[in-house]
Amino acid sequence: MKTNFLLLHTITRIVTFIILSFSIFLFFAGHNNPGGGFIGGLMTAAALLLLYISFDMKTIKVVLPFDYSKIIAVGLLIAIGTGLNSLFHGDAFLTQYFDYFDVPVLGEIELTTALPFDLGVYLVVVAVALLTIITIAEDDA
Amino acid sequence: MAFQILLNIGIAIIWMFFRNDFSGLEFFLGYVVGIILLFALRRFLVFDFYMRRVYAIVKLILLFNYKLVLSNIDVIKIVLSPKLDIEPGIIAVPTALKTEWEVTLLASLISLTPGTLSMDFSEDGKTIYVHSIHVPDKEEAIKEIHDSFERAILEVTK
Repeated sequence: MKTNFLLLHTITRIVTFIILSFSIFLFFAGHNNPGGGFIGGLMTAAALLLLYISFDMKTIKVVLPFDYSKIIAVGLLIAIGTGLNSLFHGDAFLTQYFDYFDVPVLGEIELTTALPFDLGVYLVVVAVALLTIITIAEDDA
Repeated sequence: MAFQILLNIGIAIIWMFFRNDFSGLEFFLGYVVGIILLFALRRFLVFDFYMRRVYAIVKLILLFNYKLVLSNIDVIKIVLSPKLDIEPGIIAVPTALKTEWEVTLLASLISLTPGTLSMDFSEDGKTIYVHSIHVPDKEEAIKEIHDSFERAILEVTK
């Protein structure tokens, strides 16, 4: 008997977006509240993994046509780049800067160089988690 | 498409709950996050990513404004020239637009640009009769309407 995953598919379509928005919230909450790049990245990977589980591999390959090993490289480059940035300013490696800016819509916000570093962590965590699981899943031997 | 807008508003509301701040600003931020997520997973959606249509609408408005200025200048030239050197005419413009709503929009856009005026529709509503103040070349006038307004409307509705 061929099972029909109607309920699973419909719920997944909606729940994925909720989990992803929560992961983005966690990513930005990291500075002053619990959260950050690592937990946000894991949460994103979990949401995407839900897609892989409820749909088949081929469908999601079309939806997410990313090369995860390249994303790992990009994440590491961003993290190293923020470190090198402080070297160019004559401080020690990975010295972090912050300042307050007036953005038109958002009002006054604090921007730090810790955020791009966190973004690097985020990308690496997402890509490593998904790459590990997908590599295992695709291994037929 | 309605489902996507609903989902996007839902994400915005959930975002306000996450941030524990129920202001218009947080709703806006959540809406932006929703747009980004929908864009990232656009191939996953059953219908097309709906912001593409919003973009197409903006493009249509800009195109209309551009055409409006151009044809106004043309009409000013005709009015101010001492010799009445024009060839008015009525041309039948066949259209590929399907719904009544689209044809109405096309006819209104043609009427609103000075120099051209949509007069009547054929029985089946697939041809618009356009009166133009100056049509030296019939084929070219039809082609211009097809290339500009009709294509932009098709981009919005398809």
